[in-house]
Amino acid sequence: MSSLTAAATESRAPASVTAFPPHIVAVVLAATSVIVGVIWDISWHRSIGRDTFWTPAHLAIYLGGIVAGVSCGALVLRTTFAGTPEERGRTVRFWGFRGPLGAWVCIWGAIAMITSAPFDNWWHNAYGLDVKVLSPPHVLLALGFTGIQVGGLLLLAARQNADEGAADAHAAAHRRLFTYAAGLLVANASIMGIEYIGFPNDAHHALYYKICAAAFPLLLAATARASRARWPATGAAATYMAVTLLMLWILPLFPATPRLAPIYNPLDHFVPPPVPILLVVPALVIDLVVRRGPESDWGRAALAGIGFVLVLLAVQWTVARFLISPRAENFLFGAQRWNYNSQLGPWRYEFWRVAADPLTAGGVVTATAIAVASTRVGLWWGAWMARVRR
Amino acid sequence: MDGARTAVSRRLAGSGLAAAIALVTAAHVGSPDTFFEGRAGPYGIRVIVRPPGVVPGLADITVRILSGEGVRSVLVLPLRGGRPTAEEPPPDSARAVPGDPRLFSAQLWLMEGGAYSIQVSVDGTAGAGRAIVPVNSIATRRLRFATPLAIGLLGLGAFLLVGALTIVGAAVRESVLPPGEEPDAARRRRSWWIRLLTVPLLALAVLGGKRWWDGVDVAYRNGLFRPMRVTTTIETAGGTRTLRLVITDSLWLGRRSSPLIPDHGKLMHLFLVREDQNAFAHLHPVMQDSSTFLAALPPLAPGVYRLYGDVVHESGFTQTLVDTVRLAAGGGTWRPSDADDAWWQSAPPSAISLQRTAALEDGSTMTWMRDSAPLVAGRELELRFTVKGPDGRPASLQPYMGMASHAVIARDDGAVFVHLHPAGTIAMASQLVFALRQPGDTVRGRLGQRIAEEERRTEHGADFCGTPVDTMHQGGLPAACSVVSFPYAFPQPGAYRLWVQVKRDGRVLTGAFDAQVAAAAPR
Repeated sequence: MSSLTAAATESRAPASVTAFPPHIVAVVLAATSVIVGVIWDISWHRSIGRDTFWTPAHLAIYLGGIVAGVSCGALVLRTTFAGTPEERGRTVRFWGFRGPLGAWVCIWGAIAMITSAPFDNWWHNAYGLDVKVLSPPHVLLALGFTGIQVGGLLLLAARQNADEGAADAHAAAHRRLFTYAAGLLVANASIMGIEYIGFPNDAHHALYYKICAAAFPLLLAATARASRARWPATGAAATYMAVTLLMLWILPLFPATPRLAPIYNPLDHFVPPPVPILLVVPALVIDLVVRRGPESDWGRAALAGIGFVLVLLAVQWTVARFLISPRAENFLFGAQRWNYNSQLGPWRYEFWRVAADPLTAGGVVTATAIAVASTRVGLWWGAWMARVRR
Repeated sequence: MDGARTAVSRRLAGSGLAAAIALVTAAHVGSPDTFFEGRAGPYGIRVIVRPPGVVPGLADITVRILSGEGVRSVLVLPLRGGRPTAEEPPPDSARAVPGDPRLFSAQLWLMEGGAYSIQVSVDGTAGAGRAIVPVNSIATRRLRFATPLAIGLLGLGAFLLVGALTIVGAAVRESVLPPGEEPDAARRRRSWWIRLLTVPLLALAVLGGKRWWDGVDVAYRNGLFRPMRVTTTIETAGGTRTLRLVITDSLWLGRRSSPLIPDHGKLMHLFLVREDQNAFAHLHPVMQDSSTFLAALPPLAPGVYRLYGDVVHESGFTQTLVDTVRLAAGGGTWRPSDADDAWWQSAPPSAISLQRTAALEDGSTMTWMRDSAPLVAGRELELRFTVKGPDGRPASLQPYMGMASHAVIARDDGAVFVHLHPAGTIAMASQLVFALRQPGDTVRGRLGQRIAEEERRTEHGADFCGTPVDTMHQGGLPAACSVVSFPYAFPQPGAYRLWVQVKRDGRVLTGAFDAQVAAAAPR
């Protein structure tokens, strides 16, 4: 017990636990590289149409996997065979090896990504080059890079939790990086749902709000609960928006030529992602409720879930009207940019799927129920992350 | 057909990692590659397209410059037939194959199913030229996991599953403990319980993935190409036998497939090959109604015959309809329903063995000009035949349905069937479709009409030897056409019979040859 206290005291040193160790820097860069790569790859398919394994977008994705996997693997080997007792004390065991929990999740993600590559190659040969985003090998790849992002988040959570009480620059940076890593996860979720929530033209059908309610409150509530920063959910949402907007502004600066017939919409530059969901506003609600809301987690979940859906609806419903209008066809909002194989028509200025799946009062209630459940799970996950020490 | 399918379903050597199962090919049977020999402006070229067997997929294309010097670039561009688009993508530059300066290769992205036209542009000191090569884009094969890949992926998959369980266990057991503290018994127990509860979750995820995969596989198999279903019957009336072939496929009856267009002036080229390959007929059934074709049967010997009916759709898509039919004894009189119908019977049966020279019906001879090298599956060949009159001098051949010659190659088990011309395996009508198609061709049949007119025009031209003979670059060619050649590569090893048909003095003459093809040595 005395050694326990000693270790605990040590971790609560007046200053935060040193600067950034290289593996944390590597994992955060890897997670960024993956997100940039995925957004770039989607743009590649919408602009050029065909690719090889060696496109820069693919390299960015796999580089992320390799960097995260190798840096965490090296950390594990060093800690296991040459770590000080203190270093080993901050780890969990995996088949006799020792490493922080986040490192293990990163390594798992990297191996999943590596596994997906030959699987995906076989899949292309067997069932055709994919025209769909969702296929079993792609899901494995997505699980892999999501693992790297979650691993990074856990590494930062452990750092942040070890800093407890410290108020120096390192501790502040740990908190900020945690928010940033959470923002990458939010961006990841928005990309996974691109077919349903990717375009502002989707913002008037019921499924849009149900998917948003399922995906985002979970991540935002977990962030708000786990982070020791001041506005973590808002920060994570802002990170997601910033990353997407940067890609929206940077990608069209680069030339691209469609390489596949049929070309219905000739273009000469990359097609950027659509304007991100205005998630900062509903994220603010989650931050407020988690910080100042009811004591019980169910009470918080109910309040945050209801607030999230209502605020998202109020914001996104109206903003989307502008985003699909000709007024948004400019550099800032990029609404004029469509796939090379799109046959342009009035559908650009219309809301999609509203006839088949209109948003009714019942739909709002369902979305709210989903958001409450999602928030509750997020709070549970966040509470655990707030306690992760290794 | 079942026999043919089973035979074709033999395992083909796959590309390194995997083994493929071929089922059928559209035009021709068991011979998926497209061969084209012709002109691209001042250059004689031979193009071979090896389709991926899956859609969308990457086809391999090679372009061999047969004649013409100073080639600077070879560009290839696949275009899906006839859909007007705002812009064409830039063509791909075919690269010179190391060690063979006249051979260029590239990959073609065939993204949709159906008829594609491959535009091959050759540029050089002699000028520029372009050729159109029609290619079918269809899914024809299922890919199996090669054992090493399967073992590797299963191993990694197992590691990921057990690894996920281990991580969950470690998270529960130790992750929230202050540094240095050992987990107590309660934590360890909890970790075991949570891992136990995670097992069914992971199993559910794996099962869900499996179901998803199976669903994709079923959908893919349903989308595999099958030739349109036909039924064939033999009717005897007034001493004549008539073959009645009816397209019974719902795709055809429901008008979900584009109408047929004439190829060499015929809507269907129907080949009958007796199971022992000792009798053969090349007929051109006449369309009786929208789905029924009739042909007067020549006095073929009784037996079971394999039927291969080559048709071309207005879309440029070609396919071979397949069936089997039993002929009873007794032929009666034969009044051909089409003037170009011809048949052949070996007399005495199986006397042709592996001879190089075949005696033709009118006393002339046909000789297969091949060297002594053994035939090997997959190797690019030029099958050359010379025809000499009874006096031993080069014969003067006439166009037979617009071509110098027609050839049919079939393996003894019926699993391979191909109908060849000096211009290759392509249907000339498909080529015309892409050359003549106009934006206004939305009325069914209009394009076919124009193609028929174009074919009539070229058939009466004096240059029938033009396309094929021009590209027969080797050796001094007689001014009159007496040599015919076909670009081809035997797709699989086995025993083949070749029937080469030419026309001389108004008679269609058929020479038959046998070929034993060996398996390619493993690379």
